[in-house]
Amino acid sequence: MNGIVSLKHIEDYKKVCYYSVCIKDESEFNDSSESLFEAFIREQEKTENEKLNHILAWVKEIGDQYGAKERFFRHEQNQGEAMGLPPNKIGSEPVYTEDGEISPNNLRLYCHRLNDNVVILFSGGLKTADTPQECPNVKPHFKLANKLTVIIDEAFKNKDIFWVDEFNDIDYSDDLTLYL
Amino acid sequence: MKKNNIISNWLKENGNIETEMLVKRNLAIANKVRNILNDRNLNDGDFAELLEKTRSEVSKWLSGSHNLTQKSIIKMEIALGVKLIYIEQVHKYVYLGKIEGSLKEEAKKYSEGDYKKTMPAYAS
Repeated sequence: MNGIVSLKHIEDYKKVCYYSVCIKDESEFNDSSESLFEAFIREQEKTENEKLNHILAWVKEIGDQYGAKERFFRHEQNQGEAMGLPPNKIGSEPVYTEDGEISPNNLRLYCHRLNDNVVILFSGGLKTADTPQECPNVKPHFKLANKLTVIIDEAFKNKDIFWVDEFNDIDYSDDLTLYL
Repeated sequence: MKKNNIISNWLKENGNIETEMLVKRNLAIANKVRNILNDRNLNDGDFAELLEKTRSEVSKWLSGSHNLTQKSIIKMEIALGVKLIYIEQVHKYVYLGKIEGSLKEEAKKYSEGDYKKTMPAYAS
């Protein structure tokens, strides 16, 4: 999948700021402002309303009470290989590149946890196999999440995205565009 | 940069209070257990040994997203030697007051409706 990627703010809580990304195909002319995360919600609320409720309530509670601690996120690893990306560090800032997923039951939401205070939410689906690579439902979302994680980390390196508020939030230009 | 409330808006319109309370409780228990483990310098592997479970199972339990059963909670309580959930006691209160005269006389006044006159300080 190729496209133009932009960041979209999802919601701020006491301890976590959530973002997602919008992807526009270069060949498309319509200007969709629906993020991957919103598309995930729209898709899952049709048939997995309860599981979706669980995930969103969890995202909210983490945001309100606990912060996005690393222990709350599951790493999808394939036999020890680092799926997606090795950890990067920009200066001494706690930038993580992980295959983080929030997952009650088998509904998976892939995300990029930047630190305890900022999480980028992507998309996901119902995982029906042991690993995301084996599951036809989540494999495309998992692969996309890994690609987007690389792009976002690159944007940090280039200072297109940067930390503000003592690493409690990020900022970027409104017209920031990244490329898949 | 525009600020949104996408998650809260969805929960307001579609959320189920039971699910939200379940999530809060699971996270609270997981967090409490995590704090205890940290205080005791125990990692997931150590805790898994105490519980006779696998490390990945324990990590799942403590992720906060897993729906903990009563049995699991009790297992953790036994392994850690602490209570994770407290059931509130229902207290019966006994009020003590001063009764003038003999008990028999006062009991009679009470049953004949003179109690309030006898005890004006307590009249409602």
